[in-house]
Amino acid sequence: MSEQSFLVLTALAEEPLHGYAIVQAVEQLSEGRMVLRVGTLYGVLDRLVADGLAERDKEEVHQGRLRRYYKLTDSGVRALQAEVARLSANVRAASAVLRGRGVQAWVGRA
Amino acid sequence: MGGSGVRNLERRYRALLKVLPRWYRRDREEEMVGIFLAERDDDLDLEHSWPGWGETWAVLGLAVRTHLAAGAAFTGVPARVVWRGEVVRALGMLGLLLGLFYAMAAVVGLVAGPQEPWWRFLELAPVVAFAALLGGRRTLAKVAAAVPLSLVVIAVGSLEDSGYAVWWGMVQLPSLVTFVCLCLGFHREAPVPPARRLVWWGGGAVLVGVVGGLSAATGLFAVALITVVVRVVVFVRGDFVLGRALSLFALLQLVSLLYLVVPSGNLLVPAGFLAVLLVLAVVLPVRRRPKAAPRVA
Repeated sequence: MSEQSFLVLTALAEEPLHGYAIVQAVEQLSEGRMVLRVGTLYGVLDRLVADGLAERDKEEVHQGRLRRYYKLTDSGVRALQAEVARLSANVRAASAVLRGRGVQAWVGRA
Repeated sequence: MGGSGVRNLERRYRALLKVLPRWYRRDREEEMVGIFLAERDDDLDLEHSWPGWGETWAVLGLAVRTHLAAGAAFTGVPARVVWRGEVVRALGMLGLLLGLFYAMAAVVGLVAGPQEPWWRFLELAPVVAFAALLGGRRTLAKVAAAVPLSLVVIAVGSLEDSGYAVWWGMVQLPSLVTFVCLCLGFHREAPVPPARRLVWWGGGAVLVGVVGGLSAATGLFAVALITVVVRVVVFVRGDFVLGRALSLFALLQLVSLLYLVVPSGNLLVPAGFLAVLLVLAVVLPVRRRPKAAPRVA
């Protein structure tokens, strides 16, 4: 699973979101590292919907503009769980190696 | 949406979105414009700004994916668009199989034949590209598929006769087309090709490549013959996608063959027979299985 898909799924895990809210949520989740372009966002959403991990939800008009919401499916929740477990195992392994070298695993931000 | 209150920035974004196919815009344009213009309420910005390079590039990428419907599922996608994308991917895979053939022929040639320039070892790159693609490592596959093209550059630089360099370039035409097909058809959101089935095809290409290394004419003849036979089988089965891809694949081989044979003046019967086989594969009709629903991966 690409980092973009992972972050979009994470964003949708809390509640159904419309496109712009997904872009904002991904930027926030990644602490500003990832800014999804609109073309990229729809590439990711198309694939997630195709794989049955996300689906279209309600539509609304906000300030004269269409907003379409997307939500996570049960398969999406399971896929996200599996990815979190995989990444957590990697983090645990890397942390153990770093501790073995006498280096702390987490570097605090200034 | 639209009307007299439309600002320049919105017009520019809508103009940019025209690179997307109509069926996609019908479904998504308003939604996308809404995101482009979200929280942008400054008059100067709305009148004088233009879509940024990053946004433009991302929309162009989406345009390639949607025009070829390369693996992504969309609502309301016309069947011809799905087929177009699948033909591109099938042609890319066929090109890689041809690359495997040439790679094995080169290995056998290097082992058994006279001394060759060192860079001919780079001809093994299609093996890496094939394995990487089946393993889902698309970027590595594309980089490896680009290596034979760099051979053309090396050849042009190292050969004094420019006519021979052009000849070399034309012979590498299938590599160029394969590379383009891989870039267009196997992007990040496209599905990974079915490894188990393709491994058998890859094994076959390697075997024929070994024959090609021992006898180039026999190897090329075998490739053309297999192309025609599979083309006929595909016609009988009504596989429109593979039929169209094989037609284009045969055409590529035909161009390479003409550039191999004609300048040398070596117009022997086997080359003529080979050309006839390939022409057959090109012109054989393609057929759609009745009521075949377009397969959307």
